[in-house]
Amino acid sequence: MTTPLLEVAGVTKRFGGLSALNDLSFDVAEGEIVSIIGPNGAGKSTVFNVITGLYPPDDGDVRLRGETIVGLAPNRITRAGIARTFQTVHLFPNMTVLENAMVGQHCRSTAGVFGSIMRTPRVRKEEETIRERAQACLGFFGSRLAGYRQDQPAFALSYANRRRLEMARALATDPAVVMLDEPTAGMNPRETLELRDHIVRMRDELGLTVLVIEHDMRVVKGVSDRVVACDYGRKIAEGTYDEVANDEQVIEAYLGRRHEELG
Amino acid sequence: MRPAMRVGASGGIVTIFLAAVGLIGNFTNLNLIGDQVTFAGLMLLIAPLIAGYVVTAPKLESGSLVRVDRGRAAILGAVAGVVAGSVFAAFVVFVDVFGVERIRAIFLNISPALMDFLVGERPVPVAAALLVAIAVAAGIAGAVYRVLPDAIRKPLGSAVWVTLLFGFLQRIVPIALDQLDIERDWLYSKTTRGLTWVGAVVIALVSAGVSVLKDRKGDAIRRAVAGRRSREAEGPKLTPLSFVIALAGLAAVLVAPHVLGSVISEVLGTVMVFALLGLGLNIVVGYAGLLDLGYVFFFTLGAYSLALLTGATLNTFVGSTAPAIALDLNFYVAIPVVVLIAALSGVLIGAPVLRLRGDYLALVTLGLGEMIVVLVTSPWLDPLVGGPNGMRDITNAAIGNFGFRDPKHFYYLAFAFVVLALFVSWRLANSRVGRAWTALREDEQVADAMGVSTTAYKLLAFAMGGAIGSVGGALFAVKIGSLTPASFTVLVSIQVLGIVILGGIGSLPGVLTGTLVLVGLPGLLREFEEYRLLAYGGALVAVMLLRPQGLVPNVRRSRELQEEDREQDKWAGDVAADEHVAAAASPLGESAG
Amino acid sequence: MAGSGAVKTRVQRVGGFATLPWRRIILIILGATIAFVVVVGSYRTLTLPAAERYSGDFWVDQIVNGLGQGAILALIALGYTLVYGILRMINFAHGEVFMAGAFISFFFADAYVKSGFLNSNPYFSLLILFVVSIVGSTVVAVLLERIAYRPLRNAPRLVPLITAIGASLFIQNAFRGFFGPQPYGYPLPDVLAGSVELFGIPVSKVIIMVFVVAIVSMVVLQWFVHRSSTGRSMRAVAEDSEIASLMGIDVDRIVVVTFIVGGVLAGIAGVLFSLTFQQVQFTMGFKPGIAAFTAAVLGGIGSIGGAALGGFVLGLLQAIGPPLLLTGFSIPSPFSIRDAFVFLVLILVLVFRPGGLLGSGEAEKV
Repeated sequence: MTTPLLEVAGVTKRFGGLSALNDLSFDVAEGEIVSIIGPNGAGKSTVFNVITGLYPPDDGDVRLRGETIVGLAPNRITRAGIARTFQTVHLFPNMTVLENAMVGQHCRSTAGVFGSIMRTPRVRKEEETIRERAQACLGFFGSRLAGYRQDQPAFALSYANRRRLEMARALATDPAVVMLDEPTAGMNPRETLELRDHIVRMRDELGLTVLVIEHDMRVVKGVSDRVVACDYGRKIAEGTYDEVANDEQVIEAYLGRRHEELG
Repeated sequence: MRPAMRVGASGGIVTIFLAAVGLIGNFTNLNLIGDQVTFAGLMLLIAPLIAGYVVTAPKLESGSLVRVDRGRAAILGAVAGVVAGSVFAAFVVFVDVFGVERIRAIFLNISPALMDFLVGERPVPVAAALLVAIAVAAGIAGAVYRVLPDAIRKPLGSAVWVTLLFGFLQRIVPIALDQLDIERDWLYSKTTRGLTWVGAVVIALVSAGVSVLKDRKGDAIRRAVAGRRSREAEGPKLTPLSFVIALAGLAAVLVAPHVLGSVISEVLGTVMVFALLGLGLNIVVGYAGLLDLGYVFFFTLGAYSLALLTGATLNTFVGSTAPAIALDLNFYVAIPVVVLIAALSGVLIGAPVLRLRGDYLALVTLGLGEMIVVLVTSPWLDPLVGGPNGMRDITNAAIGNFGFRDPKHFYYLAFAFVVLALFVSWRLANSRVGRAWTALREDEQVADAMGVSTTAYKLLAFAMGGAIGSVGGALFAVKIGSLTPASFTVLVSIQVLGIVILGGIGSLPGVLTGTLVLVGLPGLLREFEEYRLLAYGGALVAVMLLRPQGLVPNVRRSRELQEEDREQDKWAGDVAADEHVAAAASPLGESAG
Repeated sequence: MAGSGAVKTRVQRVGGFATLPWRRIILIILGATIAFVVVVGSYRTLTLPAAERYSGDFWVDQIVNGLGQGAILALIALGYTLVYGILRMINFAHGEVFMAGAFISFFFADAYVKSGFLNSNPYFSLLILFVVSIVGSTVVAVLLERIAYRPLRNAPRLVPLITAIGASLFIQNAFRGFFGPQPYGYPLPDVLAGSVELFGIPVSKVIIMVFVVAIVSMVVLQWFVHRSSTGRSMRAVAEDSEIASLMGIDVDRIVVVTFIVGGVLAGIAGVLFSLTFQQVQFTMGFKPGIAAFTAAVLGGIGSIGGAALGGFVLGLLQAIGPPLLLTGFSIPSPFSIRDAFVFLVLILVLVFRPGGLLGSGEAEKV
């Protein structure tokens, strides 16, 4: 059996007296789209933060292609191949759309101080490559982030476009794994369905492995190969969408939701 | 009416303040125009004038800006003026009654000379009434200025401040004109030292004319540019006109020392050194967003390293001795070593320190700046750097027989380094490195998450800024020829910070402008030497309150700092117009956004 | 785009040179050097041959004086910590608030000593000096808040800091313009001259007064902050100003009150300082200001107990540290480096324990 691309093994994280994550374990195989679901406060964003190195787990391990990444600085983890978006959009507000995406390419380029000052042919070529890759990532979302939009400052974008830009920026880091934190939050139904298709395209066209935190079950149903359900920092179910949706514990965790919505 | 009275009262208090600090009493003989317009008079008028202008500001009422109409403006201005004048007059009467000498025992600048100027031979009530009348006139003038139509206001404003500026530069411009053998007695009077009325009128007319022309030209350019998509100011747009201006500017800069004489060249040399420091700090504060209050650290390090590397000696009471460590390198060999030392220090210091958050980083860097000054003055390091007596015999950076200590020559040496620093800054700003710095500055955590090694880039900015600063220090050492610890104080850090902030954070033309204003002007206006720091402090506060993006802002940073939404709305309006066109054209016919 | 053809292996190796914890290493080296200097320096200073060694009296003297200065620092530090707690900004100009009160009280002190009033009614005249100094400092503090800080409440962090620096320069030089650059000698009432024996140690009367006044002030402050309703509102605003305003607290007023309290304490410190060093000058605010801020950070910024503790500890450190640590290494005139020593303490605290002595050991999360 090949090693899973991403392994979260027995991760525990406490904040003061509160256990945000409690011995959480799951794997993501290459080319999978895995969704993480769970009620608010279940620790989903925390797991993202631990994986990307924002803070270390108190216990447990996180491995990328079998090698542990716990303790590495976030920028090294990104360079290793994990990209993420944030629950609340965190763009670079005063940089243009294109520049935001180009920042993503930073870890895939090497122009240093001397090269930048001299603008050697190699550096100039690299800048062009960066620009092209960034534009390609922006282009992944169609014409919404293309053309004249690319020179607009990021703060001028509409909400949905900001989310797309953040994803484009993550894609621009040429990752192996893309982690999306509630990507459809705040979007209207049409945008949500569009985004659902984008996620699948990320796997099919770009060959990425995707880990998604989602609340909208239509999206979860539509994209996931597997679903991991969490509550109070613990995994309570794992499997295909149908398996998880019909799991007793999961239903209980979503107490108050009508059964039909999960079907 | 109430706000007008409050503003007026503040104006009166400001005038009292100006009097108490000495800005009125000590300048009754500084003639700006003819015999009549003195600096003292200007100081007397300026507070009520600004009060009148402030009081007539358009107010936001139910969603729209309500402008004040002419009649009401004049009244408000008059009210503000009356109150300001009365407050000040009351003060003058009080001083007169209480006795100038008794007050002078405490407030040193409330002097008989001041009272002479304010009251003179007149009976006190008359003098008081006169002061109130003057204030009223100034208040009304300020109010009227506000409500004038733009077409008159701009040229008028230009005319006034350019004329006053020439009045201030009464020690420089005549000398320059003399050196160029241009007749100047019609412009500057030999007796009063200031502008003649004829000269003043001429200057006023010329600047008004230039202002009108600039406006017309500006509109034309703006319309031409409006069609283009890109709005980023990545560098100057090379229209033929701006190219010519740039060339002319360059020529002026290159011949300046020969035209303006040694004294002014000396000031310009200092300007160049500070411009270099400003460019260095601009990388730290402007590009990477690190709050560095201790820039004097690198300045001092550079100066003393250069001295020790090029064979300077310690100054003692009886002559000079060799320092504990001394090498005798050529200036041009020593400079790279100085840079290296500074960069290394920057990295060593930065590593533990740069992860601190804004305010703390500021304090720590301040502490470092102070520490090095203390160390350099201390008896402990006396055998190395000469303690309070300092060092002397510093190299004059000679190439062959051509030495650079002469102010006119030093200017070119410093200028060369400034150009180099400008080039480096410009190239870096628009590169991958600059992008990383901007990302780091906008949101450090997110930049880190996006693969930018924040520690590395902070260190890079700090080390580079430090390296440039140390070259500035080295040049300073060459310029003066000797080093005394008195030149290295926390004020250097604050001045350089002021240059960067006032000029415009992250903006290269801004740094240069800031240097000209904050170093050049005080250097040229020697009579105000005592008030330099007061003006500095006031300017810093004023800039932060009124125009935090500085004099020549960097477009991007204006967005970060400016709170006006009007600019954005206007631009968004243009963009929306674009979107309509694009939406209609796009095959999917999607809604905008 | 990567989709065009081969799926590259986009996972890079995560080992290597750069994963060494460089920052850790530098910090450890730094810490070791400090420890070395402290231990070895102290040892060598204390074991110098008898002729060169500092006497026991010297150390006692240093300790007493250090604590006295520490008390003054604590009073100023409280001003910093209170404002920081409420506004999350360092009031750079607080040193000038301190100077203003001291300077203004000087003119009264001078008049009183010249008329003999100072010595005929020493307690009454001292009371007036304190009141005058308090008023002076408070006025400057309130003006600062109104003019320079309030409009910038929501500005990015850089802006109020620059404003504070500018305000500090401005106030300093305004006083220079008013009163001149020279130092003025601050008179000492006869009743405070000389020293008294306490537990066999000679302690100057001024220092006793400093202690008494400082401790009384801190006790009053503690009561005010923890028992009065205004104090409760202050603590609420310090925790979360948005919620506090939703609870009906007038945040603007509380901010002004905070500045006033800081001003009162600084005014008291001003008189104490002037009596201790018997001098006022327009520059007198700068160094004590930085030292007081160091003390506030040392104790844990935002914490009142921390500021007080930090003040005393720093006072002690700067009195004992230089002679104890540096003489052992044959560094001449260790006191001339005293200021550098204070800054070094600041830097070390911020690098190793940004939360201060009473803090959690971690920097505040942004």
